[in-house]
Amino acid sequence: MPVRDPDGAAVLERRYLRLLRCYPPSHRAFHREEMLGVLLDTARPGQRTPGLRQAVNLAACGLAIRVRRIPGWLAADAGQDALAVVSLITPAVVFILLALELAAVNAASARAPFWTPLLPFLPSFGKSVVVMIAWLAVVLLGLTGLRGAAAAIAAISLTLAWLAQLTASVQQSVFPPGGLLQFLGSAGNVPVVLASLAACSLALSPGPQRGLAIVGWRRACLMIAGLSAGFGFPAIVQLADPAAPIWDLAFRLLGVLAIAVAVAVTCVRSPVGRRVAGLVAAGLLPSLAVTIPLRDVPAVFPVPLLVSLLVAVLVWPVAIVSWRGRVSRASREAAAAKARRHEETIRRLERARRKPG
Amino acid sequence: MYIYDMKKRSMQEPTFLILTALAAGPQHGYGIITDAEQISGGVTRLQTGTLYMALDRLRSAGLIEPDREEVADGRLRRYYRLTDEGAALLAAETERRRASAAVAARRLSVRLAGGTA
Repeated sequence: MPVRDPDGAAVLERRYLRLLRCYPPSHRAFHREEMLGVLLDTARPGQRTPGLRQAVNLAACGLAIRVRRIPGWLAADAGQDALAVVSLITPAVVFILLALELAAVNAASARAPFWTPLLPFLPSFGKSVVVMIAWLAVVLLGLTGLRGAAAAIAAISLTLAWLAQLTASVQQSVFPPGGLLQFLGSAGNVPVVLASLAACSLALSPGPQRGLAIVGWRRACLMIAGLSAGFGFPAIVQLADPAAPIWDLAFRLLGVLAIAVAVAVTCVRSPVGRRVAGLVAAGLLPSLAVTIPLRDVPAVFPVPLLVSLLVAVLVWPVAIVSWRGRVSRASREAAAAKARRHEETIRRLERARRKPG
Repeated sequence: MYIYDMKKRSMQEPTFLILTALAAGPQHGYGIITDAEQISGGVTRLQTGTLYMALDRLRSAGLIEPDREEVADGRLRRYYRLTDEGAALLAAETERRRASAAVAARRLSVRLAGGTA
């Protein structure tokens, strides 16, 4: 036993236990005691602190195991239910944010009253209104059970948003006004992370009808209102006062805080709710990013392009892998049914052969 | 899935060392670390995190399984053993490495012969 100092050993043990919290609970339940034993066995005499290399290795491996388990986490019943709830709330939040954004821009320009964006024939807002109507269609199609159609429209809207951003980035050698901040908030008039979540959850889950059956109308409306208020906080402030300094850090932080509270209050009490919270928290990333002073990023560096590519790289493989998983599961089931039919035929043949005459 | 991947790609060194350490009989975590270091000639010392990430993956793939548990000095020691599937995969990997090494040895001998001629 290399650790001879009992106090030091207790301190070291406590620190190792803290590091082992990086691992998922199921891994800890099975391996914690034996890992702790090995860590203490490999410790130097008198060691009181985990070595840097070991600490980094434990944290990295714990996180890697968590990441590796994400597909299983989403494929499990609770994960599927969480995705169904997300597919119910995120398209509605995207739609409300688009409406708020449009109304806020209109109010800021003081060209017309806030309801003007609802008139699709207004040329200056025509494109944005079409996008908004597309997302209203996503919400309604999802609620009526046409999940595939809703997912397709969401994916088309998202892809068009990326293409628009790509074109803009290629055309302009410098940032458009607002640069990364503007892109993170709304690329091609769509909040990309929330829209990606909506498209993926519609494609991969049992759909908004299942989500509604889980949370009910009242909680669904509460979640949608809370998240819309949080994500759309700057637009709401601008509606009330067009001259409000919405890019101020305090305003951004208030929005993030509102989302965190909404998610915490509505979601954390059940395994499904916690999964919903985890998924929606991904939508917080752009809001958190804009709280960091990113204006110092060199203007020639095409950050919006890279961010849009990153989202594309992260979102679509998930959908494709899941689709392939479904296909292979369907093929496996078909193959099993075929094998059962084959065995039945063989048995029938054998029975027929055994019959005299 | 993992086995499919392993057949397509060469086995990673830590995986090879862990399976080799378990080939002769069941071992616990600390035993695997010291044995793997010995097998690699002192070149590779597995970190605890790396070891248990690999053990978790190999157990999910059905290549190893827990054998028994013991308590020594107030600490749990879980022994792992190689499954038949794991032994078959290790045999295939050993054969692949042997074939590669044989080719390397042949080519080196040709080079040496050419150099001395």
